[in-house]
Amino acid sequence: MIEVKNVTKKYGSFTAVDNISFNIKEGEIVGLLGPNGAGKSTTMNMLTGFIEPNEGQIIIDGYDMLKKPKKAKKQIGYMPEGVPLYNDLTVKEFINYMADLKMVPKKEKKEKVQKIIEQTNLKDVQNKLIRNISRGYKQRVSMAGALVGSPKILILDEPTVGLDPKQITEIRALIKSFGKDHTIILSSHILSEVSQICEKVIIINKGKIVAVDTPNNLEEKVKEGNVLQITVEDKEGKIEEVSKNIKGIKEIKLIKTNSDNTKEYTITSDKETDLRKELFEKYSKENITIFELKKAESTLEDAFMKLIENKDEEGKKNVGNTKKRS
Amino acid sequence: MWAILKKEVKSYFLSPIGYVFIGLFLAMCSVFFYLDVVNYGSMQFENMFYSSATVLTFIVPILTMRMFAEERKVGTEQLLMTSPRSITSIVLGKFLAAVFIIVITEICTLAYLAILFMFGTPQIKTVLVTLLGFLMLSMAYISFGMFASSITENQIIAGVVTIGFFIITWFLPNFSELLTPLSLINMFDKFPSGLIALEELVTYITFSVFFILLTIITLQRKKSVK
Repeated sequence: MIEVKNVTKKYGSFTAVDNISFNIKEGEIVGLLGPNGAGKSTTMNMLTGFIEPNEGQIIIDGYDMLKKPKKAKKQIGYMPEGVPLYNDLTVKEFINYMADLKMVPKKEKKEKVQKIIEQTNLKDVQNKLIRNISRGYKQRVSMAGALVGSPKILILDEPTVGLDPKQITEIRALIKSFGKDHTIILSSHILSEVSQICEKVIIINKGKIVAVDTPNNLEEKVKEGNVLQITVEDKEGKIEEVSKNIKGIKEIKLIKTNSDNTKEYTITSDKETDLRKELFEKYSKENITIFELKKAESTLEDAFMKLIENKDEEGKKNVGNTKKRS
Repeated sequence: MWAILKKEVKSYFLSPIGYVFIGLFLAMCSVFFYLDVVNYGSMQFENMFYSSATVLTFIVPILTMRMFAEERKVGTEQLLMTSPRSITSIVLGKFLAAVFIIVITEICTLAYLAILFMFGTPQIKTVLVTLLGFLMLSMAYISFGMFASSITENQIIAGVVTIGFFIITWFLPNFSELLTPLSLINMFDKFPSGLIALEELVTYITFSVFFILLTIITLQRKKSVK
């Protein structure tokens, strides 16, 4: 559906996007992830044909963005960063205008616009001026603008920035519902968001692709060992000593002492060993009461930080992998 | 193109811009109608256009300064440029929308003509030629204003550049007779005499086409430079 081949974008002597390549298949929901200034928006602006790359090729649904921009752009619904809108139009007028811009045939226009207004829950505000509606609504209006004209691909640049938690949940649900019949690329610097919505993550940093994988695989990749979180009541204070005798424990670390005199530790072991059963049995024998015992999940946050920090050594290797995969 | 034309015309009247432009122009027209026509007991409606044309220098930027500058500043440029519409149709749509406002303004000025008809019979042919010349001069001015708006994201700069340019071309003949052919507004003086001045028409059209093309090229170039 989307093919990006060796695309480079330079602003003067600064390289914003450096020779990136990736493929996105039909129906995928892909997250473009990276710290601010990593090149996410630049990449999206190139995908939508707003700016042209210095080098490389972008193919949207079989059409080259540089050679057949009209056909390529027709396949794309774009929600730009910061949701720019025409403030002096009403919500409905704006969606109608977007339908005109995207060449929706006159006969179908009315019906389609109405359907999108319902889909994005804008019925209550459809006749209000855009300047007078709240940020959450504006975000949805912008999304409605992207949806008009039934594009196959939705490109959403930071769709949840500036919203309150309730609105964020709503927008996420909306994006997920669109995933059924659209290919979606969304950018974000909120990792939990990406892991919730997306099936595939592309991590970029300093204009280069650091990794392309599923959120789960990424978490898995950076996991170094099994980490357990444990809360115990240890009146005699011998947990560390007992732990020394348990094979497999690589490290035990006190995190904090709670007000009820229980203590929280993290216990690290090898990737393959699961210590939970053994800990449970041995500690109870030694009069250490376990209040809580759980696996500490390494998150996408960890994956992200690690990948970005290791970029210089690891990054190159991963870009190599990416190429093979595509 | 029509979609953009329609929306732009609508925007002119959703914001005060359309009313301010037409209102200011008609207010000035009223003054000139009194000074140049009524005062002389003349039937020559076209006489007021000698002075009215100079008003364009100061009010055309009202129509043109926001055209692209505002879209760029607010970011709606991204919506426009990522739509399947070509840059040419976007530019022409905006250009014709502004021209349309001029046409509406000209229609409004016919009210003065109607007043003259109550007292005599003005020369219709001369009136039509004058209005044609006025429209062509406006088109040339709008094309430059639009170009100025495409090079910046600051409306004020676009407006000042436009007015500055018009004033310079206005006074060019004062520096040298040779520069007269470059002075758009001085060329207009032939039309109210009832003459379809071909040379002047060609100049206006060439000038308009040149700056429309320049606007298209500027926007196209921004895609690769930005």
